[in-house]
Amino acid sequence: MIRLRSLFWLLLISATGFAMFGVKYQVQALEDQFARINRATAAEQHEIRVLDAEWAYLTRPETLDAMNRQFLSLAPISTKQLRTTVADIPMRPPTAAPAPAVEATTMVAAAEPAPMPSAAPSPLDQASAPALLPNNPAAEPPQTQSALRAMPALLDKPPATPQPTKPSTAKAAARPAPPHHPKSLDDLISQIMASR
Amino acid sequence: MTIAIQYFDDNPCRPRHFKPPPCAPVIPDGPARKALDACRRRLFLTSVVFACVFATVALRVVEIVLLEGGTAQSHMPRFHPPAPSTPARADIVDRNGKLLAATLDTPSVYANPKQILDAEDAARKLVKVFPNLDRAELYAKLTSGKSFVWIKRRLTPREQYEVNQLGIPGVQFQHEERRVYPDGALTAHVVGYTGIDNSGFAGIERGLDNTLKNHQDPLRLSVDLRMQYVLREELQRVIDDFTAKGAAGLIMDVNTGEILSIVSLPDFDPNRPGAPDSDHPDIPIADRMFDRITLGDYELGSIFKIFTVAMALDSGTSTLTSTYDASHDIQIGRFTIGDYHGKHRVLSVPEILMYSSNIGAAKMAVAAGGQRQREFLARLGLLKPPKIEISEVAKPHFPAKWREVNVMTIAFGHGISVTPIGFASAAAALVNGGVLRPATLVKLPAGYFPEGRQVISTKTSEQMRRLMRLVVEHGTGTMAAAPGYVVGGKTGTADKVSGRHYVERKLLSSFVAAFPINDPKYLTLIMVDEPHPNKQSHSYATGGWTAAPATSRVIQRIAPLLGMQPVDEASPELQQALAVESLQGKRIENY
Repeated sequence: MIRLRSLFWLLLISATGFAMFGVKYQVQALEDQFARINRATAAEQHEIRVLDAEWAYLTRPETLDAMNRQFLSLAPISTKQLRTTVADIPMRPPTAAPAPAVEATTMVAAAEPAPMPSAAPSPLDQASAPALLPNNPAAEPPQTQSALRAMPALLDKPPATPQPTKPSTAKAAARPAPPHHPKSLDDLISQIMASR
Repeated sequence: MTIAIQYFDDNPCRPRHFKPPPCAPVIPDGPARKALDACRRRLFLTSVVFACVFATVALRVVEIVLLEGGTAQSHMPRFHPPAPSTPARADIVDRNGKLLAATLDTPSVYANPKQILDAEDAARKLVKVFPNLDRAELYAKLTSGKSFVWIKRRLTPREQYEVNQLGIPGVQFQHEERRVYPDGALTAHVVGYTGIDNSGFAGIERGLDNTLKNHQDPLRLSVDLRMQYVLREELQRVIDDFTAKGAAGLIMDVNTGEILSIVSLPDFDPNRPGAPDSDHPDIPIADRMFDRITLGDYELGSIFKIFTVAMALDSGTSTLTSTYDASHDIQIGRFTIGDYHGKHRVLSVPEILMYSSNIGAAKMAVAAGGQRQREFLARLGLLKPPKIEISEVAKPHFPAKWREVNVMTIAFGHGISVTPIGFASAAAALVNGGVLRPATLVKLPAGYFPEGRQVISTKTSEQMRRLMRLVVEHGTGTMAAAPGYVVGGKTGTADKVSGRHYVERKLLSSFVAAFPINDPKYLTLIMVDEPHPNKQSHSYATGGWTAAPATSRVIQRIAPLLGMQPVDEASPELQQALAVESLQGKRIENY
């Protein structure tokens, strides 16, 4: 009996001892790892500071200026280049496509005359100007039709007869002579200059 | 005998098979019983004491483990992550966050010769990384038998990397903190520099030393590095064009007092303060360290006339239609006051400013009186050292006794010397609607306007704007015009004082400008120290020929950076807004 008890206690003590040392070493290892990570973080932070400073050094205005001279030859913006503000750029001519949904509703209520787009036609669509005139409604009916046929899903009913309402006419008229899109920045600028 | 039996019976060590013979317990008597009782008592007491001690220990263990032990989380604070490796001194950045000053751990490399295995090989490899080092000397160091020799102090990150790549045993690094200024001379006078122990010696580093030491977040200055570069480049150009001794300039936000740029040339490299400049070895170091904008104290000359006119208009002693006879020089005591390019006729107030007439300004000031003039200048803060974060500021110099001759000379900016920064703050107040705000080098929150003091009426300020526009349109400052940005300003050309005399040939030419003058946003002040006439300037070195064109170039370059839209200067609304009523309908004679 006594032997059994002694054995029990001995086992318990050694188990506790092992467990304790186990935990202790585990904690030590974690602490080491923790310190290592902290050191690494500090090193990284230091590295970031150095890189920040280096970046600031490499992007000095002086260096950028020298590099610009060598590779880009950009010059300071002159007042002339700044003359055109966004507000100065003309809006797209009124012949530009109106929103499809609007067009569909106009089609449904095609009986009354739709209001004329307020802006005056720009020189760009002088060629198609007759189509906009109210006294010349059927100037280009085939194009109107083709334009409408192109979007049947949007229409409630198929247009049985060509009803050349003004917005759709305008849309159709825009097809043959779309406002030419600039191919490059230079193109855009020359276009703006030409329009002034 | 009985004692013996008792003894056997109680003996714990008796063999098990031995049993004492059965007999009645014998109660000893006499001395034996006494001794036995005493033993029992002692045993009992001892066991009680031990029990108490063990109970205490046990309770304490329970207390520690169960009651005070807490949870794993409660032990976490012990393992605070170390504070991020913040430098001992906060960084300085410009208004856009560009780094101007940083504290870096710079490694220095040293060797422990006792650990060096192959000194010759090590010396050969190290010389490859540091070509400046002498190989024989290095070899001698590495074989000296000491346990510590410096190889090189303060390496660049690249050098450190290369040394690491060599992998020589016994070669190690030691870290030292060091202040680095990536932009070098560009911001030298604003940011300043620090000493070996990283305490501020000049500029912001000195003026805000405690702030920088006690904070970790970068200090954001109001300075814009790009404008700093533009201004410095243009000033350098003026120096080169007119072989000037130096030049200085500043750009200021007139509505907040924020300074966007301060440049003073010649300058120095804050990374190596005191080191001679390889490009200009003849310029003394003290001259390069000298910040003309805050520490300089100058008789600024004609640009001071804006104060004379503002004073006269604000106090009502003159109106825009008042006229003063400028046909003859003024003789006072041993002085003669004349005009540089006089019109020799009666001039109205706008004309006095436009043609920069000394005679007219002097008479205007006399009409207002010395008392008023002095009060006015004091109100503008020109008689006190300017308030700014930089601690190196000069005290203004002015006569203690404000006599008539002083009144006259001060009217056109002689006989009083002020710092350019003080001048700029006061000039900003003249054009921004009359509110004087202290100049500041620290960025203010967007939309925040610091408390100001109304020093002149809004009406006078508006009149001043129109008059300053006139100077650029028709007067002495036509070369400052920057088409589209509606510049208004005033030229200044002062004779420099040497000892007790003015020196004819040594000029301080300057130009103060505000733009767009119909609703001023920014003010520039450019000074050129001792410009010499050149061929292009038709042997002029006045403010209108030196500082004014530079102002024009600076404004044209910085306005896009400030997001400013050029406007049509010929538009009727603008002409209307800037017209001077008293001159309307008259033909304005150009300067």
